[in-house]
Amino acid sequence: MKPDLNRIIVLIAMLFLLLPSASGQEKTVVLKGRVIDSYDGYPLIGVSVIVEGTRNGTSTDVDGNYELRIPDRKCEVTFSYVGYDEEVKLYTMKNASAFSKIVMYMNSTELDDVIVTGVYERKKESFTGASATFKADQLKSVGNNNVLQSLKTLDPSFKMMESTQFGSNPNMMPDIEIRGKTSVVGLKEEYGTDPNQPLFILDGFETTIETIMNLNMNRVASVTILKDAASTAIYGSKASNGVVVIETKAPARGRLQLSYKGDFGLSLADLSDYNLMNAREKLEFETLAGVYKDNSGNPFNQLRLDNLRNERLKEIERGVDTYWLSEPVRTGLTHKHNLYAEGGEDKIRYGIGLSYGDVDGVMKGSDRQTVEGNVDLIYRTGKFQFSNKLTIDYLNTANPTVSFAEYAYANPYYRKRGTDGKVDRYLYYPEEGIDDFPVSNPLWNASLNSWDRTGSFGFTNNFIFEWFMTEELRMRAKFGLSRTDDDEQTRLSPLHTQFDDMGETEKGLYTNTQINQMVYEGDVAVTFGKLFAEKHMVNAVGGFNFSSSHQEVYGYAANGFTDDQFDAPSFANGYPSGEKPQYSESLKRAVSFYVNGGYVYDDRYLMDFNYRLDGASMFGTGNRFRNTWSVGAGWNIHKEHFLRDNDFFNFMKIRGSVGNPGNQNFSAYQAFSTYKFNGWMTNVFGTGVILSALGNAGLAWQETVNYDVGADLTFWGERINITFDYYWKDTDPLLAVITTPGSMGVTSVAMNAGSQKTHGWETTFRISPVYIPSERINWNISFNAASSRSRYADIGNSFSALNESGKTSLAGTTRYYDGGSPTAIWAVRSAGIDPATGQELFIKKDGSYSFTYDVNDEVVVGDTQPKVEGIFGTTLYLKGFSAGCYFRYRWGGQVFNTSLFQKVENIGTEEVYNNQDKRALYDRWSESNREAYFKGISMVQKTEKSSRFVMDDNALIGESFNIGYEFPDRLIRRMRISALNLQLTMTDVFRATSVRVERGIDYPFARSVTMAVGITF
Amino acid sequence: MTYAIALAALLMTAGCAQWLDVKPYDKIAEDELLSTEEGYMKLLNGIYIELNTDMLYGASMSVEMIEIMGGAYAVGTDNSVWGNYRDLSEYEYGTLYWRARMNETWNKAYSLILNCNMLLTNIDADRDLFSEDNYRIVKGEALALRAMLHFDMLRLFGPVYSRNPQQLAIPYYKAYSVTPNSLLPASQVAGEITHDLLEARILLANDPVRENGGDYRNLRLNYFAVAGLLARTSLYFGDKESAFRYAREVIGAVEDGIFPFVDRALVTGSPDDPDRIFSSEVIFALSHSQRNSLFKDYYDPSRIPNYVFRMDNDLMSNIVFGGGAMTGGNRDDYRYRVNWVATGANRYFYKYSDMADVGNIRNTMIPMLRIGEMYLIAAESQSDDIAAGTAYVNVLRSNRGVNNIQELTENILRYEYIRELYGEGQLFFMYKRMFAPVMFSSQASKNPQPSDRIFVVPLPDSETEN
Repeated sequence: MKPDLNRIIVLIAMLFLLLPSASGQEKTVVLKGRVIDSYDGYPLIGVSVIVEGTRNGTSTDVDGNYELRIPDRKCEVTFSYVGYDEEVKLYTMKNASAFSKIVMYMNSTELDDVIVTGVYERKKESFTGASATFKADQLKSVGNNNVLQSLKTLDPSFKMMESTQFGSNPNMMPDIEIRGKTSVVGLKEEYGTDPNQPLFILDGFETTIETIMNLNMNRVASVTILKDAASTAIYGSKASNGVVVIETKAPARGRLQLSYKGDFGLSLADLSDYNLMNAREKLEFETLAGVYKDNSGNPFNQLRLDNLRNERLKEIERGVDTYWLSEPVRTGLTHKHNLYAEGGEDKIRYGIGLSYGDVDGVMKGSDRQTVEGNVDLIYRTGKFQFSNKLTIDYLNTANPTVSFAEYAYANPYYRKRGTDGKVDRYLYYPEEGIDDFPVSNPLWNASLNSWDRTGSFGFTNNFIFEWFMTEELRMRAKFGLSRTDDDEQTRLSPLHTQFDDMGETEKGLYTNTQINQMVYEGDVAVTFGKLFAEKHMVNAVGGFNFSSSHQEVYGYAANGFTDDQFDAPSFANGYPSGEKPQYSESLKRAVSFYVNGGYVYDDRYLMDFNYRLDGASMFGTGNRFRNTWSVGAGWNIHKEHFLRDNDFFNFMKIRGSVGNPGNQNFSAYQAFSTYKFNGWMTNVFGTGVILSALGNAGLAWQETVNYDVGADLTFWGERINITFDYYWKDTDPLLAVITTPGSMGVTSVAMNAGSQKTHGWETTFRISPVYIPSERINWNISFNAASSRSRYADIGNSFSALNESGKTSLAGTTRYYDGGSPTAIWAVRSAGIDPATGQELFIKKDGSYSFTYDVNDEVVVGDTQPKVEGIFGTTLYLKGFSAGCYFRYRWGGQVFNTSLFQKVENIGTEEVYNNQDKRALYDRWSESNREAYFKGISMVQKTEKSSRFVMDDNALIGESFNIGYEFPDRLIRRMRISALNLQLTMTDVFRATSVRVERGIDYPFARSVTMAVGITF
Repeated sequence: MTYAIALAALLMTAGCAQWLDVKPYDKIAEDELLSTEEGYMKLLNGIYIELNTDMLYGASMSVEMIEIMGGAYAVGTDNSVWGNYRDLSEYEYGTLYWRARMNETWNKAYSLILNCNMLLTNIDADRDLFSEDNYRIVKGEALALRAMLHFDMLRLFGPVYSRNPQQLAIPYYKAYSVTPNSLLPASQVAGEITHDLLEARILLANDPVRENGGDYRNLRLNYFAVAGLLARTSLYFGDKESAFRYAREVIGAVEDGIFPFVDRALVTGSPDDPDRIFSSEVIFALSHSQRNSLFKDYYDPSRIPNYVFRMDNDLMSNIVFGGGAMTGGNRDDYRYRVNWVATGANRYFYKYSDMADVGNIRNTMIPMLRIGEMYLIAAESQSDDIAAGTAYVNVLRSNRGVNNIQELTENILRYEYIRELYGEGQLFFMYKRMFAPVMFSSQASKNPQPSDRIFVVPLPDSETEN
């Protein structure tokens, strides 16, 4: 393939050379020279050299030399190279010698200095908002999984919630928060959408978190996180959770360039958080808990139980001690490939990419495959530019059908396989006539032909038209269209033990759900930017945006399969009785008008304002349009006269902003009441309808007034870089979905109640103790931290229902009171276990002691929000070699240890048959161990929520370690490769925590090692 | 430029507002539904249909839960057969199962009240949509439905009205509100119920039922059904004078042939296919398309060894349909001859078993209000002296094929209620109204004595916890 490609390149180059000579009779001259990198002086290979306005051009050879015949008249010659600033030189007919050495500058610094909001771009120096921008190589240097994984390590305000339930399941979408929750109570439960999720913008168009997760990281050029009102208000009522703006790479001008990026990884399950009993411990625990003791005084039953215990003991003596957790896990292999060809000349640039990714999760049967093709085209003629990005992707996912928890439950005194080596259906099956439950073997269920898989096909086309009317005035129109078709299918084999009690014709279950989504968005904007009288810089953007999102869900189920192997839905016997096809539909539309203005006086004083009028179909007719505004101001101190000649301070800015972005993550038809047919019966009068959902046209939408003050500081020759932000947010009114008394006719209702106030700060500090650019040596140490505190205000008794149900719930510790924090842990204080009686001693509200638990003695005993959390790390660049490590720290938070609460003390009569935490056996109170932390072993005693289970949650996590090497030109030149780099990244290497909690209930967590390869030809 | 955009924005806002007005496809939007008379009719019919759910008059409030509480059925001791019914027959309302069942009934009743309120909130503005007298009829029926549902919740969860009329009972919802309404004293709830029924009565003044009789109007809360409800509620609230007046009004209609007594030939002439619910006498019935399931699920002797609901043998043969002058019981009674059929040693209740004519509307009817009750109310409320009502009871009895009684006593009246309304969900409320022992057994000592414990069901969890 390589020689072929070269031949094509040569052919194209020759074509370019031949064209002018064929046409021209005019006098020509030959320009000769060498193109080098400003950074290290190395020659640049493949730089395209073109005479402006013609198709006359060439490219530099392996030594960076070029030779170009040009007409002998005044003309501009353009040098362009991917990743470098374009260099345009005027040929004046006298300065041919000036072309002998061309120095090109890497454009990464430029990316650093521009804030891309997705609607407009602004120089960082003249922007008053709080934002953070990360380039492709920064993102890649901390991890290769996906953009979001890397952002969490790079920015302290960006939080990816760890899911104790779903662990590192590659098919679960994470919960993301920027600067904490704006707290919408009960909404996720009600509508399934995460109301705290930030807005994602990909190449100027709104997109979903799934798309971002699927996006091959090698396509990403930069990511900008917009945090405060000044930067997000342009997105109006969608922006209160912050905005993540992602730009993919645009094809670069030049000769055809082919690059390959590959990631190869291994991931291993992290089972160290599990602390389960071994066979002997479990049997002892069961004996102490009274499993083998008959309470009814039936001697025959006692005999049976004695025999059962003896059988198990015998097995243990034979050496049976099964470690079940290792069964469902494996070493997950990951490989991702991205091939991108790009090139073009002045008028047309093109890029064609193909990506493939296959992520095998650490649980067997858990896969995620993505295939993505994209075509980028840019056409520029005169004052017009047309660009189009087309992406087609196909996603295939599979999930294990037996959850990890079932393996964690299995008792270690059972054998995995029977004596004949086969996997038995049951680990334990009671004899005929015994009132006891059989224990099914998770390995049996996992061995069956059951599956859970999803295929998804997506198509996205984004078209942008730009008209450069004058130097100052630009118009841009864009239209994006995307369609996604998901096909989810699950099948449970008829042999699955769950169907044991069912009739032969009802066994097995197949379900099919199809989700079709069609989204379009259009936008027209006019941008103006001009410097007046050399001191007054004015920027303005005004535009109109409309969007529509339509989703349809179809589904059905079928049952009655007779065979394990043959699984086509056509083999089903029928539909489950009483079930009907599922269908739901939702259509959301929104329009908005927006204006953004910026004024800068003498590069020193900055001012920004935004205004947006939003209308959305989800808002009731009474409240359809909503205003968002923000103002911001800033001061570039380093531009002041007294600092202008100072070499020490490179950049010093203070800024502040205020605004009221809103939240629009709501369901489509909640503004008005809807009705449905009561299809189960008709009468002589025909059909009837009744209320299906009650609308609330007067509901006021949640908005957050957001204040931010911050400073950006760079000094000591750009060696020290500090950013600091302090913010406070007031979400008023809160929107909450609360359960209501049945007499209201509905069981829950969305309502406005009270407000939430949040204060927080975040800071990033970077220092380069060693910084020698000419030698390509750079050592960085970075540190970032974030902290925030929230409290409720004016909520009164609105949430008394939630408080009451929280009090009576088994393990709910969240309460809603004025002045209370949304993350506070509420429980009754405990003085520990009384050595004399083994009973828990509680501390009442007034400080007195009592053995009686009274739920009204609840106080705040902790807060899950850490006092401070962040990352510190260091990176070293030494010639082509780089190494880095990043550690996450978390300090000052508490956690209610549910593992202790449910797997040590509150083990019910049924859970006692599951394997349990080792601590359920040790450190338990008994006559001989009176100073124990836990109560005595008992099946019937209920343990109440108390501070005994609240523990400090301090942690140090090795989040990302990496080493990389970029091969120098002289080594790879002979292989006709223009760039080659390798990088090895390890994520979640270790975890040191002050509390031991089981994590990864349904799916374990993983540690991973990835090798990334990048080759450019 | 900002001005230009602002101007453009203003102009486009109007157009956009229309574009933003989206309608769901998988559900019916309110303004679409309630834009025609037919839409209102469908909503009203939807409410009537939902009354047939098991949570309300399809089981719980007609033949099942409420009749167990009314002591109608002999409940066995074997838990594997009788399940949770044993607890209920002992008035153990606190069990998990019965708490959930009560909650379900309560929530369903109030969700239908909400449906009535949605209709009532919108109908006045849409008056022009209706043809003829339909606006008044639809509105009147919706008001009456709202009153009827509140009344049954008050009778179930409220205090024993004759003893504690001021006690906090239930909330009364006259419109949808985002905040819950607070509990009202029973007497205030009574006022609201009466108010709604009186308004409904005025709206239904031109109801065709007054000219044409039943003819499908008996499947709706027609003018006479509202009058009948007023008789029932007035008696419950202790207003005997009104009770008598409204009962008399319905009896007048009977005398005019609007709701005639059942044709003797239909109950005794063709014993293989009798009109067991005496359909011509029903002032208001629900129309349940699988009404036969009421029989199949609870009364059918072929259910054995599963539970079957029936009256205690001794109570039936010696007292209710025996017992002579003491109880007025007689085995010639049509109500005994057609509704109690012997299988083996026992007799089983056949009121809800189908007639042979499969498509007949009578096979769908669940009686909610019948003229027999009107005669009994008239007898009870004519004066404080119960004997004064003897004549009314004798009119009823003569249409049941049994001889006159000499003088009406409270005892005979109660047995007459049992004979007339058995299996229709009214017995528990009668005992509660009279604060009388529940006649569960032939042995008076076994009958539960009246008390708040048995008569007042605690408010459901969903009401008190939220």
